[in-house]
Amino acid sequence: MLSILELERKVVKTNLCTNCGACQGMCPYWKSYEGRTFVDYECDRAEGRCKYFCPRMPADLDSLMKKFFEEKDITSELGPVKGLYLTRAADPQIRAKAQHGGTMTALVELALAEGFIDAAVLSKAEGTLDPEGQLITDPADVRACSGSSFQIPPTMAVLNEALKENEYKKIGVVGTPCKTLSAYKMMAKPFEDNDNNADNIGMVFGLFCGWGLDWKGMEAFGDAGHADILPSKFHRMDLDDRQVDLDDVLPLVRENCNYCYDMTAEFADLSVGGARSSEGWDTDKGWNQLIVRSEKGQKLVELAREKGILEFREFGDDSAKAAAMDKLKKASASKKSKAVQALIEKDGTLGYLEPSKEIFAEYIK
Amino acid sequence: MTTKNEPGKTYLMQGNEAIVRGALEGGIHFASSYPGSPSSQVLGMLGHIAEDMGFRAEWSTNETTALQSCMGASFANGRSICIVKQNGLLVQSDAIHCGALGGIKGGLVIISSDDPDSHSSTNEFDSRHLAISANIPMLEPASVQETKDMIPYALQLSEELEQMVLVRVTTRICHGRGGVELGELPEKRPFTPIGEWDRMVGINWLHGFLLEKLEWAREAFEKSEFNHYNGLDKAKKLIITGGTGMKYTLDAIEDIGIEGEVGVLSLGTLWPLPEKLILERLKDAEKVLVVEEVDPFLEEHIAAIAGKNKVNIEIYGRNDIIPQVGELNPEVVTKALKEFVGIQDAKASDAVCGGEGCPAAEGLTIPERELTFCAGCPHRASFFILKQALRREGNHGVVMGDIGCYTMAGQRAGQYGYHFMSCMGSGISAAEGLGQLTNYGFNQPVVSLCGDSTFFHTVVPGLINAKMNDANILHIVLDNSATAMTGFQPHPGTGETAMGHETEKISIKALCESLGCRVWTADPFDVEETTQLITDLIRTKGLKVLILQQPCATLAAKTRAKKKVWVDTDKCRGENCGCDRYCSRVWGCPGNIWDFEKNCAAIDEVVCVGCGVCAKICPAGAIQVEEPEDAEGKGGSK
Ligand SMILES: Cc1cc2nc3c(=O)[nH]c(=O)nc-3n(C[C@H](O)[C@H](O)[C@H](O)COP(=O)(O)OP(=O)(O)OC[C@H]3O[C@@H](n4cnc5c(N)ncnc54)[C@H](O)[C@@H]3O)c2cc1C
Ligand SMILES: Cc1ncc(C[n+]2csc(CCOP(=O)(O)OP(=O)(O)O)c2C)c(N)n1
Ligand code: SF4
Ligand code: SF4
Repeated sequence: MLSILELERKVVKTNLCTNCGACQGMCPYWKSYEGRTFVDYECDRAEGRCKYFCPRMPADLDSLMKKFFEEKDITSELGPVKGLYLTRAADPQIRAKAQHGGTMTALVELALAEGFIDAAVLSKAEGTLDPEGQLITDPADVRACSGSSFQIPPTMAVLNEALKENEYKKIGVVGTPCKTLSAYKMMAKPFEDNDNNADNIGMVFGLFCGWGLDWKGMEAFGDAGHADILPSKFHRMDLDDRQVDLDDVLPLVRENCNYCYDMTAEFADLSVGGARSSEGWDTDKGWNQLIVRSEKGQKLVELAREKGILEFREFGDDSAKAAAMDKLKKASASKKSKAVQALIEKDGTLGYLEPSKEIFAEYIK
Repeated sequence: MTTKNEPGKTYLMQGNEAIVRGALEGGIHFASSYPGSPSSQVLGMLGHIAEDMGFRAEWSTNETTALQSCMGASFANGRSICIVKQNGLLVQSDAIHCGALGGIKGGLVIISSDDPDSHSSTNEFDSRHLAISANIPMLEPASVQETKDMIPYALQLSEELEQMVLVRVTTRICHGRGGVELGELPEKRPFTPIGEWDRMVGINWLHGFLLEKLEWAREAFEKSEFNHYNGLDKAKKLIITGGTGMKYTLDAIEDIGIEGEVGVLSLGTLWPLPEKLILERLKDAEKVLVVEEVDPFLEEHIAAIAGKNKVNIEIYGRNDIIPQVGELNPEVVTKALKEFVGIQDAKASDAVCGGEGCPAAEGLTIPERELTFCAGCPHRASFFILKQALRREGNHGVVMGDIGCYTMAGQRAGQYGYHFMSCMGSGISAAEGLGQLTNYGFNQPVVSLCGDSTFFHTVVPGLINAKMNDANILHIVLDNSATAMTGFQPHPGTGETAMGHETEKISIKALCESLGCRVWTADPFDVEETTQLITDLIRTKGLKVLILQQPCATLAAKTRAKKKVWVDTDKCRGENCGCDRYCSRVWGCPGNIWDFEKNCAAIDEVVCVGCGVCAKICPAGAIQVEEPEDAEGKGGSK
């Protein structure tokens, strides 16, 4: 089957597509508009990069992970873990605009300034709507992208374009789990001689993710400077000072997110989410959880500690840390179970997770 | 085409020129037309000579206006001809029926050109049925000479009967060539003032009179020199032909060598049929083969004559041994004749109508080529953009087309961008109806399209209908400043007349705005901006009119300096993942070709008109465009 048709049939038409953009930016056929990925015209090739880069095409995720991470670090629920921290940006200016504690913005700035990466692909929204991928080369521009939109832009298309240009040799990319997985699929180089310069990916920064939202319908809630989804017991989304009942938002959750097994961006050098410690929301508000997964990630975080770029908050005693880890694992495992269930309900198999069935067996109810 | 008065002299002429010459010899005062193949060129030629020859020639907005202006000229005893294609005749249908009831004064001849096999049409309708329905006399020439001769005759007959006369011609006549012996050019006849009590009104109490006129015509046709008999007298095997059927038949008889066996009655006066003449031949015959273009028109009426007169005879033709669809050709007629006379070597039903049927081409395989837009055609860009905009919507929408060059959008040239196509003017009205369903749960964007000539032809009433009914559609006018499909005839938006005079251009935009429509204009060559505009318009509720302006490439080639376009072979990604020959395979301009030796895209410099649009869509930025040198000799790449 033509590559383009296979991807369209297996992923797009089945609503598995995440709109990550990994299939885009390399050729004129795949496009995205307002959160939806589609083909304009058909490509005639049997084999193409699009279908191999797509995070929703079947792949052996276990082998992929072992290829890039140390086996000893790999956990079933959270992927590779070298360390878990509670952090926030030391600079209050970053924190003022950031999603939670500004850890991501501070780390990307540092990585750019210190040469870990020479460019960064981020996502920028006007307020909280219509996010777009952005290629950033000046550390001073990183802050303009802080904060989150819950709509899903095809940011990986911007990465692909930047890789194609071959001007930057160590590009960092920040993305939700679907996006970071695709970055590793790119680095796995399905075609040795046609890799879109995947070696130019310098670092991958993961964002925790529960789900993303559709374009259509979001405008009804109006624009805001800042949007946040509170811990589950609050059951609400805050848009600046406005509180929106989560039940009004949930219908806009992208269908594909129901099939997503990954809450913590397991494929990444490091992953950042909102802090959810045992101390409760009042203390956690404005703090991040940070999982370090690779040596490169470790080095960057250590440097941030040395330079005072990040502030670290202790979990309390060891048991408090273990409790936090446990809570995170439970939340993550719950996302995996739901995804596995949804996939089985959809077509009786694990779908794109089928080649990795062994690692998902424990989540099948 | 000669305008000289040289009776007896012979010229080689195309059928369409013979129509012009016939009109001159018929002493016309007025000629009108809306273009349509295969007779599109006739009025253009008349327009060129009208000034010198002292008559008025005009392109009309559509075929109805064309015929009715002839009727006006006829009222003052002016002679006129109206030239249309088969669809045009159908457009005139009401005007003909009502006009025929009222009758005419000065001779009025309608020339309707049929296109068997639809070489340059969307159908092969047979004009002849309309003569029966409207009760008017009809003729069909068998040769180019007869075409010329028939027109003055038809004008004369029309005047004598005070009735319009239809002359049916076909593609092989219009585009064929033959020697034509000229007749005399008459003195121009003065007009007759229209008296206070003179009338031209189509009203039902004239119905009986209308039929009476037809009987007078029949009397005249019994003795007409346009009906011929060849071959064996009192033939048991009789062949009856209409129009070009005669030539095919006589050639085939000679080829097979059955001259001594059959007789051929060739009819030029097709309605009303000369019954006595036909019966005279039928009574000796045992079986009849009817050879005619398209429908079994003569075949069925001859069967009726035979039945009415209790002549027991076998009748063959388009209903059996000649295929029911497609154009006659020598092979079909030869096989039919053989089967008719009982030669066993071939079965007629094996032969296929249409194609070229040229024995010389046997054994040669000619590659099948799809119709496509010319290099640099703005329609290619328009459909490319439209498809992209609709794909963005996640709903391919419904695109309701019309007739013009852009009809080719139904094929690869326009990214298969058509869901609907019927007759001229149909797109917008069909879209209006479909679009109304969006108020009742139908959930697809509805887009209609038309060209600028078609806009004036029949779209305007459809647009008014859409406005009045608060349609929910996007209507796109593909304004290429031309009636391109049929050869650049002037239309109300072009600012000139058939006789080469300037006339005030009618602005499509102003006209739409005057109806209260919301109107946008854009350039299809601004690929990105126009895609976004269409995306936004598709989402806007209500009636939207978008005029996409960019002159037809053929016109542009005459006025614009040609930009040089070439492919930077180092940048071209060619067949690789990331391009897969986007320019030559998807965009599909004939100027974008594939260099099989270098395995790389190339530009066919002869074909390329330098529009530069492919450079905008090349994913590798490999296509380079060099601006033409300006007055100061500066050029440059971009
Ligand atoms: C759709 C979505 C769902 C999320 N769900 C959860 C969740 O359930 N639990 C949780 O703990 N955390 C979730 N996060 C992550 C969280 O919102 C923060 O991004 C993360 O905690 C980092 O915070 P920060 O203060 O360091 O971010 P900042 O310093 O403000 O940096 C945010 C970074 O995110 C990028 N970004 C913004 N919007 C998007 C987007 N739509 N897609 C991709 N990148 C984007 C920006 O480029 C910026 O680099 C989600 C994020 C997104 C985008
Ligand atoms: C009733 C009728 N009259 C005439 C024709 C012949 N014809 C086909 S398309 C066309 C005009 C097309 O002009 P326009 O709409 O401007 O489109 P373009 O070809 O320039 O793209 C004509 C006259 C026809 N098909 N039907
Ligand atoms: S690569 Fe991303 S955007 Fe493309 S089909 Fe797969 S999930 Fe959708
Ligand atoms: S579209 Fe561009 S890259 Fe592709 S074949 Fe044509 S010139 Fe080459």
